[in-house]
Amino acid sequence: MCDLCMKHGAGGKWYLNAEHYSNQIVEKYNLRDFLMEQYKNFEQISVRKVHGFNAVGMGYKLRIPIIGRIVKHTAEKMLHSTNPPTNPFKAEGHIGQVIPLEDAIAILETCAVEPIIEKNCMCRYMARGEKEACCINFGVMSEIIDKLPRFIPEKDKYFLTRKQAVERFREHNRKGYIGTIWFGPYPYINNLCSCANPECAGLRPRLDYGIKSIYKAEYIVHYHEDECNGCGACVKFCQFGAIELDRVRKKITINLDKCFGCGLCRHACKQNALHMAPRDETPGFEKDY
Amino acid sequence: MANQIKGKTKITIDYTRCGDGVDVDPRECRACLKVCKPAVFLLHETLGAVEENPYDPKKWRITALWLDLCTRCMKCVESCPAGAVAVTWKE
Ligand code: SF4
Ligand code: SF4
Ligand code: SF4
Ligand code: SF4
Repeated sequence: MCDLCMKHGAGGKWYLNAEHYSNQIVEKYNLRDFLMEQYKNFEQISVRKVHGFNAVGMGYKLRIPIIGRIVKHTAEKMLHSTNPPTNPFKAEGHIGQVIPLEDAIAILETCAVEPIIEKNCMCRYMARGEKEACCINFGVMSEIIDKLPRFIPEKDKYFLTRKQAVERFREHNRKGYIGTIWFGPYPYINNLCSCANPECAGLRPRLDYGIKSIYKAEYIVHYHEDECNGCGACVKFCQFGAIELDRVRKKITINLDKCFGCGLCRHACKQNALHMAPRDETPGFEKDY
Repeated sequence: MANQIKGKTKITIDYTRCGDGVDVDPRECRACLKVCKPAVFLLHETLGAVEENPYDPKKWRITALWLDLCTRCMKCVESCPAGAVAVTWKE
């Protein structure tokens, strides 16, 4: 299990601990106003200076010796913070994890607090100017988004039953969108996303800069080579670049260090050669989150 | 991890040609956002805009955010109908 589960999972996975979804948390930390302020200003967060610092050109700052380490450390400390959130312009306590379809369904069926809605993904909008309804919200967060028209899908029905939410998530996942679940801010869970690289602002710090903004899933891919016919369909489903096709042998090679355990490659494989196994029971990867 | 392109890239958007300085709404055009493979640009409301009116169409602009990930392909410069994007670098 990852350290998020150890600290916040009450014996299981942190994101299957229903307590984190409850409205009581929202009232306790006064998150209604906090989230309203944060989402009203969402697209500005990376350009707004907090303590004299914003994300513009961050990659260059990270390359500077010593200063780079401080920037990385400060960013991780902020993202992993478990203090009561104070500043809506900071991504405080905003840490997430990749999850496969099964766990997303479990969240939607058992943990998510109603009302459940589907809103336009902020990341795709900020990065591409495209409005795509694929981000699922719960509880108080749904009420807040309902007051912010730019997040509300124009055509789609956006209040969903649990069953509809499962169906929508399944569609996104089959299409190749990475399932992710987030504290936002800790200890409240209100966002179940279907992400893409490089648009996702939560994956980018980890994939491009090595900052732990998101953990690998509690799973890792297991490949049954005998079943594989070398069709290559799984390669482009892996947004983490873990799969390569060996055209001569007509088999794939998987770089397990790169596997985030999203489970998307399975949707591409008609031969049933790709399966998911618990990460913490996979020798050499028990602690690789 | 990040591609390590040598030197520093500088990307500027001329806000007298696109964005909140003029009547060209980057949310309508989006050309630079679409062509950039590594998604270097950010579409956002100008700072302070929200306090006045969060939905004012004249309050949006583009900032080049992830400068070090730019591959210097120049597609954004070529595709910008307003000639607002400039990409320069020192080796
Ligand atoms: S190998 Fe499969 S499970 Fe692992 S990251 Fe790639 S698509 Fe996801
Ligand atoms: S999709 Fe399945 S059969 Fe095709 S290359 Fe990938 S693992 Fe092999
Ligand atoms: S030069 Fe190419 S990589 Fe760089 S910002 Fe423009 S489109 Fe993106
Ligand atoms: S391509 Fe040019 S005009 Fe279009 S949004 Fe980008 S900067 Fe503005």
